[in-house]
Amino acid sequence: MKRLNTLLLSLAALIAQVAQADTPSPLSLSGFGTLGAARTDNANRAFRSNSVSDSGAGAAFDLSVDSVLGVQGSLQLCNRLDLTVQSVVRKSPTGSYDPRITWAFASYQATPELLLRIGRTRLPFFMYSDSLNLNYANPWIRPPVEVYSLNPLSDIDGADALYRRQFADTDVELHAYTGSSAMNIRGGSANLDKIRGLKASFSRRGLTAQISYARADMSLRWSDAYFLSLRQALIATGHDAIVPELSGTDGKTSFMSAALQYDQDRLLLIAEIARRNVDRYIDTALGWYVTAGYRTGAFMPYLTLARQREVSPVSTAATGVAVLDDGLAAFNAGRNKAQRSIGAGLRWDAGRNVAVKAQFERIQPGPGGLGILLPNQLTDYLKPDGPTYVLSLAVDFVF
Amino acid sequence: MHSARTLLLLFSGLFAPAFSHAELVLVASVRNPAMELSHERAENLYLGSTTTLADGTPVKLMDLPNGASRDDFYLKLTGKNPAQIRAYWSRLVFTGRALPPREANSIAEARQWLIDTPNLVGYMERTDVPPGARILLRLP
Repeated sequence: MKRLNTLLLSLAALIAQVAQADTPSPLSLSGFGTLGAARTDNANRAFRSNSVSDSGAGAAFDLSVDSVLGVQGSLQLCNRLDLTVQSVVRKSPTGSYDPRITWAFASYQATPELLLRIGRTRLPFFMYSDSLNLNYANPWIRPPVEVYSLNPLSDIDGADALYRRQFADTDVELHAYTGSSAMNIRGGSANLDKIRGLKASFSRRGLTAQISYARADMSLRWSDAYFLSLRQALIATGHDAIVPELSGTDGKTSFMSAALQYDQDRLLLIAEIARRNVDRYIDTALGWYVTAGYRTGAFMPYLTLARQREVSPVSTAATGVAVLDDGLAAFNAGRNKAQRSIGAGLRWDAGRNVAVKAQFERIQPGPGGLGILLPNQLTDYLKPDGPTYVLSLAVDFVF
Repeated sequence: MHSARTLLLLFSGLFAPAFSHAELVLVASVRNPAMELSHERAENLYLGSTTTLADGTPVKLMDLPNGASRDDFYLKLTGKNPAQIRAYWSRLVFTGRALPPREANSIAEARQWLIDTPNLVGYMERTDVPPGARILLRLP
């Protein structure tokens, strides 16, 4: 303990020394966060900000859906080499609040146009993937779940290259990456391995266009009570062959997306479409959204339309045994996140580093599933019923 | 009436710095005699889209503390208001794309840094430029 105190004191002394230096410090520390509250109008439908959490907001305001705190340190080792580490605390899909290292990489500016990075970075499948926890930089309370829930794994351990160049008036950026990703989710665990992806962005004045493609090997091991009993029943009745379609380590997946953003003066327009192709374990699905915002002074009201629909279910296998087929149908429905939503919101830049947001959404789940919503009873997945309304309030800040 | 006039004078004195459009200049240490900077390059540097000068020399950037001069600088150079520039830079920094300009705690510290640090680019009001620094670009 005493040794720790001595260490802290000498660290503080070092920082004080650095703070008074005649030249800028090579170390920079900063942070960001959101204090957010969300509720629905229906106690039997929990609203989640992703599709893999085992809890969400019900009919009472809940702080765990959107609240997040992150700190980041960067160290400039020399002109071309930087180290960056970012740690984030937010409720994980399995309910823990353990800090997670969200970025940890060394970056090397090989040429003025080429940046090489190694370590943990973000899986850049979609336009706003990089700023998932950084709500202050985004217009909404959270990126639209119809697209962003298609990939719940947010980081990648590996290496990437960013090539950036100006052609005439247009900024072009090519981003190539490779690596792997792992995460514990509601009732199981997920891995993406041998990820290979490419993203291209084109920006000119306020307009940005982006396309992205990635492939990976996928593991998805369900271990929830429902899956385990379904598996047991399938094996017991001689339908073992269906089990490898539902859970395992042999999946192949690909992600495709295209996005447009126009952000100039008062107007903000965003449109994005994304598709997840999977050969087993989870469904193939397509999501899109459009957002329009209009700035007037420190306020920006915005409107979002969004939809996700299932292209093909997890498994089309049939056993001919009614109770087993019903069981498979429920398994498929629980993994179908189809929904459509309309949302209206307001962002208020209340201070230099603070944004206050309010957002109201109408979510119509289905067809064939409950969307982002989590029911009290598994059988509800098969009868999505009418819309659920969600109210979210948030204060986003950076420091 | 008299006190009202005094109050008015006091107020105009208080707000004068925010309203006066002092000339802002981009500066570097005289140790970098060959350094050249165009308006476009400066904008790219302060928007984090490049980290080098036109000839490939890597440079570091300096920011003034929060205040009217800083807001005025970004508005003149990039056309973005304080909230927009803050959101823009937080995206760059927290998504691992760029390191933020180093923020000086005071004008005095900014002046000291500029004199002592080679390859540091900063900005300040023209009347604050110290003798050891060289003006690269004027932002009228």
